[in-house]
Amino acid sequence: MISEEKLQILTESAKYDVSCSSSGSKRKNEGGMGNGYAAGCCHSFTPDGRCISLLKILLSNDCIFNCRYCMSRSDSDVPRATASPEEICELVIDFYKRNYIEGLFLSSAVHRSPDHAMEQLLLTVKKLRTEYQFHGYIHLKGIPRADERLVREAALYADRMSFNIELPSEQSLRLLAPQKSRESLLLPMKRLQKEREIFRLEKRKGHFLPAGQTTQMIVGASPEPDGQILRLTQSLYRANGLKRVYFSSYVPVVHDSLLPEKPAGELREHRLYQADWLLRFYGFSAEEIVDDHGNLPLELDPKCAWALRNLHLFPVEINRAPLEVLLRVPGIGAKSAYKIMEARRYTRLNFEDLKKMRVVLKRARHFITADGKFCGASGSALRGLLSAGDPLNATQLSFFSDRETARSALTGEL
Amino acid sequence: MIYFYDGSKEAFYTAFLLAYPDEEAVLTSGSKQLGIGQKTVFVRADPARAKQAERRLEELDPECVKELDLLLRSGQPNRDTVAFGYFKLIAARGGPVRRMLAEDAVIAARECMQRVRFEIHRFHGFLRFMESACGALYAPVSPDNDICDLLVPHFRARLPQYPFVIHDVKRRKAAVYDGANTFLAPLDRAEIVLSADEKAWQDLWKKYYHSVNIPSRERLRQMRGYMPVRYWKFLPEKFPGDFGTS
Repeated sequence: MISEEKLQILTESAKYDVSCSSSGSKRKNEGGMGNGYAAGCCHSFTPDGRCISLLKILLSNDCIFNCRYCMSRSDSDVPRATASPEEICELVIDFYKRNYIEGLFLSSAVHRSPDHAMEQLLLTVKKLRTEYQFHGYIHLKGIPRADERLVREAALYADRMSFNIELPSEQSLRLLAPQKSRESLLLPMKRLQKEREIFRLEKRKGHFLPAGQTTQMIVGASPEPDGQILRLTQSLYRANGLKRVYFSSYVPVVHDSLLPEKPAGELREHRLYQADWLLRFYGFSAEEIVDDHGNLPLELDPKCAWALRNLHLFPVEINRAPLEVLLRVPGIGAKSAYKIMEARRYTRLNFEDLKKMRVVLKRARHFITADGKFCGASGSALRGLLSAGDPLNATQLSFFSDRETARSALTGEL
Repeated sequence: MIYFYDGSKEAFYTAFLLAYPDEEAVLTSGSKQLGIGQKTVFVRADPARAKQAERRLEELDPECVKELDLLLRSGQPNRDTVAFGYFKLIAARGGPVRRMLAEDAVIAARECMQRVRFEIHRFHGFLRFMESACGALYAPVSPDNDICDLLVPHFRARLPQYPFVIHDVKRRKAAVYDGANTFLAPLDRAEIVLSADEKAWQDLWKKYYHSVNIPSRERLRQMRGYMPVRYWKFLPEKFPGDFGTS
């Protein structure tokens, strides 16, 4: 059994990774323990409001790389630990059996060399799948600059892999993570994507990343504007076929002259996620949401901001507007849009009906008519009504205390 | 007229047949404050008539029988009224009504079923097994809705080699998987002898829980929203002392 101390060190070095999703894999239990849960499943929530789905842990935090923002960087003075593949396997099996976790999210520092670190990761997942007969969810981090054969083999055992793109531009990467380059991060992603396509087309036996790939970047440690970040995000979805792009608002865990002293606002991270949802589920393009060098407004959600720039398209009649138009109404999410589409086949909807159906009208009422009736404000009054307050104070807004935003922070739905 | 029934499916169908033509009908399986002069009737299940009603309703809407099962499992005090309203509408319209999303009876039924389904989903995550000395797993739960047997297929698929017991301590019954079959049994109290390692794994889990938290980003309200306090009772990571007897 792994020691409590080792578990603590390896967990604390892994916890800033934001991805926690366990969705997207329907892996069957083939005569052992565990299976995939396509919808994903949260097993607990920590006092910081984040969910625990996967056992998020490093195999080792002993790193030869020296990325400035990282607490495990080689010249930082932190306790180091390295777990054996057996220790991790045992931990996963016994936690999973008790239903503490949905699976494993295994990452590692670049221990000794990229190849050695990747080898150990591969060894661990292979052991879990073959010796321990574990069929639960496994998310494996890829090590940049590791041998591509190791990466490809690991993909046969993991449900999802991710190479963190770390920072939104090559310049920032060169400055803050000198041993990593854009190419060392993007190339393996592209290779895996291609392999996965081939695997699927040829209908080969077994699995090859059934839940695809994701990535993560730190926001606020470097000067890139939201416009650039969202364009990069869009291209990662379109060209690289990623399932998710995660943003992690910068938290200063180490002091460094090249890094900002203050954490980036969590509200900015939240707005980026809202924009990310618009890209993935609402039919928006990055260009529509924010211009190249611009930032997302903090006082308004990005859909609202878009609608205010495009007032000539509103109001829309709730009984006639097609789905893609309903989805563009501020305050109407995918669920509400679906409910409206269904309900209006049977009856003509008015505002009373919408309220009953729990369609949130706080923002939507300014952009819709229901049975010909308009209930909103227009012109300059509208902007004031929709703004969450003074943008300068925006980072101090306790926006998670508002139920509606709290839910949206988890689901991303607007 | 108020129609009392025992909350079972058969009695519901029997009561439904009686109450359907009655415009003032109220259906209930719980206690009910009686108004002055209100008439009551206690409906006993009539298997033949129930079967007849079920078959007829199934013809109108093949899915509605499954929905009734969920509705009657709800812990909501007005579940009988909700189910009655929903089934009355199915009978009146002569077909499925679940997509009439602006209809009061449909909204109420959908929300009621949604709560039951959501709690099942939640317990897929929040249920905690402890390992007994004989290797069987034991999980106490206290759900709002009567769902403990509905949790079994999920865990059975994951842990086919481990016999387990999911104990609804509030309703005093348990869903049991013995390694081959599943059954429901009344269970008042369970004495569990824990395996030698159980406490160590629980401690390790608590250690993990506290290590993965980011203290500088405390958001207790949000945590409680996602994981309501009433579910903490059987979570080792939320239980102040040590849990279980060893």
